[in-house]
Amino acid sequence: MTTKEELLKQLKEGVINYNEEQVKEAASKAIELGYPALEMIMDGLAAGMEVVGELYERNEYFVPEVLMCADALYAGLDILRPHVPKQESGVVAQVVIGSVQGDVHDIGKNLVKMMFDVAGWQVHDLGRDVPLEKFVEEQLRTDAEVVAMSAMMTTTMLGMKKVIKMIKEKNPNVAIMLGGAPVTKDVAKLFGADGYAESAGNAVQEAIKMIARLREMQQTKAAN
Amino acid sequence: MGELTPKERVLRLLRKEPIDTMPFFSGMGMVVMPGIEKVGCKFAQIHTDASRMAMSAIWSSRLMGFDCVVIPYDMTMESEAVGNEISLYENSEDILYPTIPHKKWKTMEEVEIPKDIMERGRLPLLPKAIKIIKEEAPELPIGCWQLGPFTQAGQMLELDMILKAVFKEKKKVEELLDKLTDMIIELGKWLQASGCDYITLREPGVAADLLSPRTFKELIQPRLTRILDAWKSPKLLHICGQTDPLITMMAECHADGLTVDIKNNIKESRKKLGPDVLLMGNVDTYKITCDPSTTVEQAVEHIKWIIDNGVDAVMPGCDLWPAIVFENMKACVDTTHEYGRRPSPAVGRL
Ligand code: B12
Repeated sequence: MTTKEELLKQLKEGVINYNEEQVKEAASKAIELGYPALEMIMDGLAAGMEVVGELYERNEYFVPEVLMCADALYAGLDILRPHVPKQESGVVAQVVIGSVQGDVHDIGKNLVKMMFDVAGWQVHDLGRDVPLEKFVEEQLRTDAEVVAMSAMMTTTMLGMKKVIKMIKEKNPNVAIMLGGAPVTKDVAKLFGADGYAESAGNAVQEAIKMIARLREMQQTKAAN
Repeated sequence: MGELTPKERVLRLLRKEPIDTMPFFSGMGMVVMPGIEKVGCKFAQIHTDASRMAMSAIWSSRLMGFDCVVIPYDMTMESEAVGNEISLYENSEDILYPTIPHKKWKTMEEVEIPKDIMERGRLPLLPKAIKIIKEEAPELPIGCWQLGPFTQAGQMLELDMILKAVFKEKKKVEELLDKLTDMIIELGKWLQASGCDYITLREPGVAADLLSPRTFKELIQPRLTRILDAWKSPKLLHICGQTDPLITMMAECHADGLTVDIKNNIKESRKKLGPDVLLMGNVDTYKITCDPSTTVEQAVEHIKWIIDNGVDAVMPGCDLWPAIVFENMKACVDTTHEYGRRPSPAVGRL
């Protein structure tokens, strides 16, 4: 019988070596043997992606490799995710994500989206070149806690400011997070966003922190 | 200023003949909002009409003192010509470049470039615009450009798919790049025959922040070389993004000059290339020309720093972002002309 440790290793290495078949096999095996799906995702798939992130930082992997690793990860996620018990997954939260109007750069956005998927969030991906009002509509429709926007160009970045204003007017409790090459922490703050992450790696943690901050603020407000 | 016209200055520089002072020019978009306003139209309207395209280019140069005009402005002309729709964002008040929302081809095998591509979509505007510029502004050299095969592949098909296929279906990627290489050669020759004075091959999608230098060497370099060999001089090669690991390979592609952006360490590149290679760049096209918090003094310092690092001409690192700060943009051009009177590594002075 294959041990849990062996399968975790196969999942992790399958992601690192962008071996979709290996990941699919190991994921199916894990389900067959009744190992906890969430643990397989976190300590197998996500752990592998963490290493991929390091290889990318060190210029050993480039964007094509990272995209292939992402495919392998999704292949495993598709098999494991349905087996995560509802209360355990506790669907952390929902996020609406997209590249803003006029911007067709979406490689970075897709990597950020993947991190939310891995972390068990419900992701509503609007794609790229998303009309500004669409972010507002989708947030209202889904009641998502977080709206994450990506812009790779200096002018499309200005569109984010408009979305923030529109969303905050309708629903001040939404946490808005920005990212993309021209965006900096200062820009995000200036635009009135609640959070910013430089890379896909820390996007999810930042989103969780953001929600916590907003809840805290609401509580103090309610108390006063 | 100076004894030479901008056209003489740039064309002499590209032949490495002595000039009066350093030009400020580019192989990529040089259109700025004040020039567009002079023409009396919106950003979205300069891409679809030969006269507006020509006049916005001319006015941008005249107002700022640029040593060239460059057309076209957007990267979607070829993809549109093979049958894709474009978004022009005519109702937006912002500056949004045309994009291709959906691509009709889903797989690499489907790609087939029509022989008469020059007669399709907006491509026929280009010879018309060149003709207008020649009549209206004979003193300005006209630059045209073509995307390199890899970047162009990302305009014809989904870039994601191609990036992954580089490893998984290498042979198909090579066939696709060869088809596009043939198209680029033909379009470049056609632009030259239509009267452009210099041409730039720009391949931003292959910088070392996207592809490995090894992939560049195997897959990209041979095709860039084939294109540049087929075009007549003067011809430039531009790559934006991280080009430090690529610069010596770029120099082996048979271009007359190389252009790079702010991520390149020009000083180091100059050391690697020696004094004979024409090296141009690398104005930061946001921080220096657009950011309202940048002062004129900082813009002047930036240009002096670039010249001291060893360029032969000052060039924006990419398309100029059209929403420039007027004074800062003007200061960049004036400083280049004033501070650039001394010889540069590859080009002497009259
Ligand atoms: C690939 C590319 C393209 C492709 C895009 C294809 C696609 N499907 O994405 C194509 C060829 C279509 C393209 C077109 C254009 N491009 Co382009 N492109 C690039 C390039 C080379 C790489 C971008 C990339 O994918 N990087 C890799 C990813 C992984 O990194 P990333 O996007 O930064 O994402 C990371 C972080 O930023 C962050 N992140 C990203 N989004 C988000 C969101 C959130 C919420 C969070 C938390 C984090 C986060 O996490 C990611 C992973 O760690 C850059 C130059 C460069 N080397 O960066 C230029 C660049 C972005 N392009 C540029 C320009 C100008 C254009 C054009 C306007 C050119 C023209 N004249 O038409 C067009 C415009 C198209 C449009 N309207 O959108 C400029 C933008 C300049 C500026 N500051 O405004 C750049 C910087 C090039 C340059 N040197 O000038 N481009």
